[in-house]
Amino acid sequence: MSAGQAVFSGWMEIADKTVYEEAGRAAEEEALAALVSQYASTLYRVAYSVLRNAADAEDAVQEAFLRVLRHRETLGEVRDQRVWLIRIVWNVVLDRKRRMKTRPETDDVAELARVLPAEGLSAEERVAAAQHHARVLACVEQLPAKERQVLMLSAFEELNSVEIASVIGITESSVRSRLFRARNLMAGLLDHARSLR
Amino acid sequence: MKTEIRDQGTGISAAEETLRLLARLNAPDGLEKRVQKSLRVAAIPAARKARILSWPAGLRPSGGWMQAAPVRAAAAAAIAAVVVGGGWIVSSRLPASQPATALALPAQTGARQGFSSSGAMRTPQTLDRPVVEAIIEAPPERITPQTKGKAGLPVAQTALRHGKSASAKKIPTQPVGANTDAAQRK
Repeated sequence: MSAGQAVFSGWMEIADKTVYEEAGRAAEEEALAALVSQYASTLYRVAYSVLRNAADAEDAVQEAFLRVLRHRETLGEVRDQRVWLIRIVWNVVLDRKRRMKTRPETDDVAELARVLPAEGLSAEERVAAAQHHARVLACVEQLPAKERQVLMLSAFEELNSVEIASVIGITESSVRSRLFRARNLMAGLLDHARSLR
Repeated sequence: MKTEIRDQGTGISAAEETLRLLARLNAPDGLEKRVQKSLRVAAIPAARKARILSWPAGLRPSGGWMQAAPVRAAAAAAIAAVVVGGGWIVSSRLPASQPATALALPAQTGARQGFSSSGAMRTPQTLDRPVVEAIIEAPPERITPQTKGKAGLPVAQTALRHGKSASAKKIPTQPVGANTDAAQRK
């Protein structure tokens, strides 16, 4: 084989390789687009339940999918993509929440009155409901982090205790015990809040 | 709904109901499109973003061909040749330097540093004094006894001894021209 042929064959190999790479990349992008259309709203709700801010929740969802994009080679190895994605967005949300601690608290009551469904309620009742939800959420915030996380994730109908355990990275029995503790603590906090009123 | 709110305050179910309400919220419209768009932007590989500066596929530095010693030596030689050749071209095109015929003085920037004289003369001729046209050398003046003071010294010296200057004695002085006229008359 002459030097010229060797060079040309090398170029041809490179061209074939790039064609395969492009095809693989396109397939990955399609798979990612499918994930977005299927789970974006679920991830948004998970993010919103913790951050309670629409813009922050949307940013968290975008960041989660960007992380997925960075590790798209591992997409084929994931068994349960839904739980995997919720785990990613959960970590993103916790990071953001930790960073946001220095920021001033937003007015949760007004935000809740605007966001939460209130069909058939008058304006006064809507405000009263929002105040009630705000009190409850304030009590949730007072819970220890481990118990709070389990309680928040248990509110999602799509997640059972095994999946919650997978998201947080603990055993199922730990999830159950933490949930039990969280409920007890929550009851005490709500009683205390009611007695103060 | 009203009864629900009342019941919610009774216990733990209140907290769980609130959390469930939050967990059931709908995602905003267009969320998927926005996420897809951001992913599309992020998915563009860096090589495609910088197409103008990108290497041809066979010459990409990531291939490692630049690490070979002969290639590096050739590159160093090429750089050295370009530098030397460029210097030689510049020096050959410039004319040989000749000795300067005039000194170029830097422009005075004194005006910026202070006030200018505005063309005024340093010593204006405001006095109308007599002008000496020709200097005539007078013979050395003889010391006469009249001009001598005590102890045979001239008046000026005695005055100095008493702490007075010669002008304090008011010695009549004559203009140079008058003295010469008197001497000529003698």
